[in-house]
Amino acid sequence: MKNEIAITAFKCKKCGRIHYPFHDRCLECKNREFEKIKPQGNAKLLTYTSIYNLPWGFDQRFLIIGVAEFENKIKAMGQIKADSIDELKLGMEVRPSWESVRVQAGEDVFGLKFEPIG
Amino acid sequence: MRDVAIIGVGMIPFGRRDEDSLLDMLAYASLNALDDAGMGDKTVDAVYVGNMGAGIIQHQTSIASSLVDRLSLLPAAADVVENGPASGGSAVKNGLLAVASGYYDYVLVAGGEKMREITGWRATDFVATMTHPEVEYPYGITLPGMAGMFTQLYMEKYGVTREHLLAVAMKNQEMGALNPYAHVEMLLDREGIFDSPHAVVNNPVAATPLHLYDLCPVSDGAAAVILCPLDMAKKLQNKPPVLIAGFGQATDTHTLQERDDPTDLKAVTLAAQQAFDMAKLKPKDIDVAELHDAFTILEIAESEHIGFFKKGEGGKAAAAGKTRLGGQLPINVSGGLKSRGHPVGATGVAQIVDITFQLRHELPKDRQVKNAKHGFTINFGGFGNNVVSFVLKRTEP
Repeated sequence: MKNEIAITAFKCKKCGRIHYPFHDRCLECKNREFEKIKPQGNAKLLTYTSIYNLPWGFDQRFLIIGVAEFENKIKAMGQIKADSIDELKLGMEVRPSWESVRVQAGEDVFGLKFEPIG
Repeated sequence: MRDVAIIGVGMIPFGRRDEDSLLDMLAYASLNALDDAGMGDKTVDAVYVGNMGAGIIQHQTSIASSLVDRLSLLPAAADVVENGPASGGSAVKNGLLAVASGYYDYVLVAGGEKMREITGWRATDFVATMTHPEVEYPYGITLPGMAGMFTQLYMEKYGVTREHLLAVAMKNQEMGALNPYAHVEMLLDREGIFDSPHAVVNNPVAATPLHLYDLCPVSDGAAAVILCPLDMAKKLQNKPPVLIAGFGQATDTHTLQERDDPTDLKAVTLAAQQAFDMAKLKPKDIDVAELHDAFTILEIAESEHIGFFKKGEGGKAAAAGKTRLGGQLPINVSGGLKSRGHPVGATGVAQIVDITFQLRHELPKDRQVKNAKHGFTINFGGFGNNVVSFVLKRTEP
């Protein structure tokens, strides 16, 4: 079963700026009231990197990480489901999913993954 | 506000220092600074210690209290200042404000970090603790990874090339090889790390598009400075005091993704501007600069955001030799973080120490910027989300 993308972004009720992660005051106008919004549709890959010196807790050779922008303008970091960065290019379309991104103390930690489709 | 001078500086060689504890290193650098200032057995009013990770790496807290005790500086006030890789710069800023306000006369600022006693992947994880705990850190992002994403966008927007990055790496390692305090005293061979088929092995990818030699080393080290009011400094029969003519500090969003333009290092621009305004100087007045080249791309991007070069010109300037000793503006004559090393809490203080050496005209010819009068530093915290800058000025006897 496909997991729901369990992130919530915050749209300023005054100026419309979208925040992810949460801020207590709008980065643009300092307003404190936000509408909770969920990411919609696929996303556009804004930047990415393939990391070979991984931090403690990752038992793999490399990890591809990027930032993508959803159709409703939420921007978020996620792991990229690709075997090589040669499969990627800036601006390409990626499909989001909510999967285990690491294991801590024997427990899965869930987060965003992006699969290239464009 | 009183004018504040640097009357003494001290440093210990950076590198892997298995024989020394963090406190040993802070003490040695501080004693060097106290001796350089000619303090003898005099004490100081306050001590600020820049450090990022003693609580995590050494399982040791309150190290400023430990340092005043170790140095017999009791009952001086003592505080630890933590601002990630800009902890050193922030500690100097706190010392500066304490003296400028008139509250304290003599202040010791020390910065130190001991990072080599843990494994590389633990050290990488330690540094990554400065990323956002919910929307960045869980994914395994590292600081080289942040720099990789930034570099890709900067290359795309401003035409920076791997040749430009290589020019920074080779220059800084060439200068570091002359610096007795540097961690890496090794010249780079272009053929071996860039041109030949063996380059893929000798200089592997670290975080695309950055390679191993685009990154600074993980280091142990410490540095220290002694501050006092300029008018009091002039009465001391010692080395010429160096005036802290300006400082600036600015912040930006915690995550790169929330910046309108992720290639725009706003906090660097603002911190530099504040420092120049306070010093009543402009980028063209600077004779020597120490920039925060934790990654080669940062030296290029910072040199543009500070205003030393136009956007898109910093990489070309480095490749053309304009930032070498003897060039238009020598940058990182110490070898920078790339070669001197980057014990995170020490770096911001070490930059001030190196510029002080330059402005006192006491370095050997092959490292001294001739007639240097004005120096500049940038200490870059997080991934540009907390930046501290200083303008230093030589005082004539």
